[in-house]
Amino acid sequence: MESGRQISAGEQIKGNLQAHFAYYRRSRLLLAFGLVFLILGALFSLPAIFGQSHVKTFAALQNIFGLFNDFLIVFSAALGLFIISSHLRARNLKMVFTKPCPPQLWLGSAFLSAVAASLLLNILILVCAIAVSLVWHMRVQAGLVFVSLSTFAASVGLIGYLMFLAMIMHPVLAAVFALIFNPDIFYGMHVWTQGMITAGTKSAILRGLSHLFHFVYMVLPMVHAFPKETGRIQTALRVEPGQWHYAFYSLGYALALAALCYCLSLFFLERKRLI
Amino acid sequence: MDAVIAAENVRVHFRRGLLGEPIRALDGLSLEVREGDFFALVGQNGAGKSTAMYCFLGLLKPTSGNLRVMGQVPGLGSKLYDRVAYLPEEPHYDLYLTVEEAVRYYVSLYGMRVSVQKIREVLERLGLEPFRDLPLAKCSKGMKQKVGIAQCLVHETRLVFLDEPTRGLDPIVVMLFRDVLREINRRGSTIVMNSHVLSEIEMLSNRVAIIEKGKVIAQDELRNLTRLDQERYAVAFETNGNVPDYLVVEEDQGSRVKGCIPADRLYDFMDFARQACLRVLECSLKKATLEESFVKILKGDGNTAGLK
Repeated sequence: MESGRQISAGEQIKGNLQAHFAYYRRSRLLLAFGLVFLILGALFSLPAIFGQSHVKTFAALQNIFGLFNDFLIVFSAALGLFIISSHLRARNLKMVFTKPCPPQLWLGSAFLSAVAASLLLNILILVCAIAVSLVWHMRVQAGLVFVSLSTFAASVGLIGYLMFLAMIMHPVLAAVFALIFNPDIFYGMHVWTQGMITAGTKSAILRGLSHLFHFVYMVLPMVHAFPKETGRIQTALRVEPGQWHYAFYSLGYALALAALCYCLSLFFLERKRLI
Repeated sequence: MDAVIAAENVRVHFRRGLLGEPIRALDGLSLEVREGDFFALVGQNGAGKSTAMYCFLGLLKPTSGNLRVMGQVPGLGSKLYDRVAYLPEEPHYDLYLTVEEAVRYYVSLYGMRVSVQKIREVLERLGLEPFRDLPLAKCSKGMKQKVGIAQCLVHETRLVFLDEPTRGLDPIVVMLFRDVLREINRRGSTIVMNSHVLSEIEMLSNRVAIIEKGKVIAQDELRNLTRLDQERYAVAFETNGNVPDYLVVEEDQGSRVKGCIPADRLYDFMDFARQACLRVLECSLKKATLEESFVKILKGDGNTAGLK
C-alpha cells in the first residue's frame, strides 16, 4: 500500500509560503493595521518634512525613520499573531496535518513567511530613508543600516514570541499580555521598589515585589536586546566602529528567542485539538 | 487482502473541562478496512463515527488500543498520508485562497509539483474552471467540496476519508460526487465514508460498520447486512378464507390477501397454495434495506452473530 514516493519538503515549504503570503496580502485586518500605521506615520512626518534648516531636515529624517521602524516592529508582531490565530480559529490546520506535512514544517513556514514579509518592509523603509537622504542632499548615515538591522532583529524575536502567545491563548489576550507584560514596565517597577527600599521603607511585601518584578523583567523577552549600548545610534544615526557587533548580537538574541518560542509553540500545537 | 485500517479495542476517553463528566467517545472500537473497500461508518449522532475518523487521520490520539493505518501508527502530518485525502464535513479550507490556489496548495502539501494544466483539467471536469480565481470565502459549500474532490483527482490518492460528504449539497452536485467517488474506488482507491444518508451508503459501499456508543456492533459486507434474517417474500393471492399463520398480512380485501412471508417458508407457502388450489397473484423477493437492518441491529433484535 505504501507508495515509496519521495516527498519534497521544498515543495511543501514553497506551497506553505505562497499560501501564507496570500494570507498577508488578503487579510483585511492586516491591511487595516498597515493603513493605520501608514496614515499615522504620514501625519507625524508632516511637521518634520516642512522644516527649513539642515539640522531640522536631519531631525525630520531621524524622526520619520524611527517612527516607521517602531511601527514595523509592531506590525511584524501582528503578522506572527495573526498567521497563527487565524489558522487556529478557522480550524483549517486539519486540512494540512492530514497530509504528509508535519506541524514543525508548517510552523516553520509560518515563521519564515512572517520574517520574510517583515524583512521586505524593513528593506523598503531603509531604501526610502536612503532615497530621502539623497533627495535632501544629506550624507547617507551608516546608522540607517544599523537601525534597520536592529529593527529586523527585534521583529524576528517578536514574531516568534507573538506566535507562541497566539498558540496558547486568544489573540486579543495575547496582544494584551504582550503589551502589559513588557520588560520596560517591570524594570521601572523594580527600580521604583528598589528606590523605596533604599529610602528606608522596611516592608517585606515591597522586598518581595522587588524580587518578583526583577524576576519577571529577567524572564520576559526584550524588544531591543542592548538598549544602553545602542540607544544613541537610534537618535544620532552614527555608528562607532566598536558598535556594529551589537547588531549581530541582537540578531543572535532574537534567533535564540525565536527558536525557544518555536519549540514551545510546536509543543502546544502538537497537543492542540485541531478537530 | 491487506488491511488498510486495523483498529483493535481503540478507546478515546476525555473530559470536558477539569471537573466535567468523563466522555467515552470511543469505547473499544475494533474494525478492519481492506484494500479497495468502499467502507461506510454508520451510526446515530454522537455514536463515535467522526471520532473514529479523526483517530484514523491522526488528529486524535487514542487513549488506548491498537490502531494502524497502512501498517503505521497515525500521527499529525505523518508520511503515511502521502496517498491519503480527507474531505471534512465542514469544508475548513484556507478561505483567503482562490479555487485554483487552494487546489495547488493542498497538492503541494503532498510534496509534489503538479502542472497548472493538470489542475485546470480537473477544475474543468468538475465545472470549477470559470470560478478558478474566485476566493473560497465567496464559494458555496458545494464548490468547496468540489475543491476537496479536485485534490483527490489531481493527486491520485489511494485512501480517501469522507466525513458526511454530501450534507447540504444540491442533488446535481451529489450525483457528480457519487460518480467521482465510484471512479476513484474503481481505480483501486480505498474509501472510508461516514454518513447518515443510508440510501447513499447502499448505493456506494460494499462494506459497512455500524457504530453505537463508541463500539462497532456490526461489521460486514453490505449484502450480508441487508440480508440479516430479513429476506422475505411479498405475496398476493386469492383466498377462500384460510391464510397460513406465518403470513404477515398487509392488506386484506376479503377474497384477496397481500402480505409477507419469511424466506425460509417459501416452500411451505407453495405447498399451502397448491393444496388449497389458491391462485397466487404475486410472489417476489423483498430484500431489507440498510435502513431496516440498521434499525433492527440498533434495537438489538438483529442476528449479528459473526458479523463483527
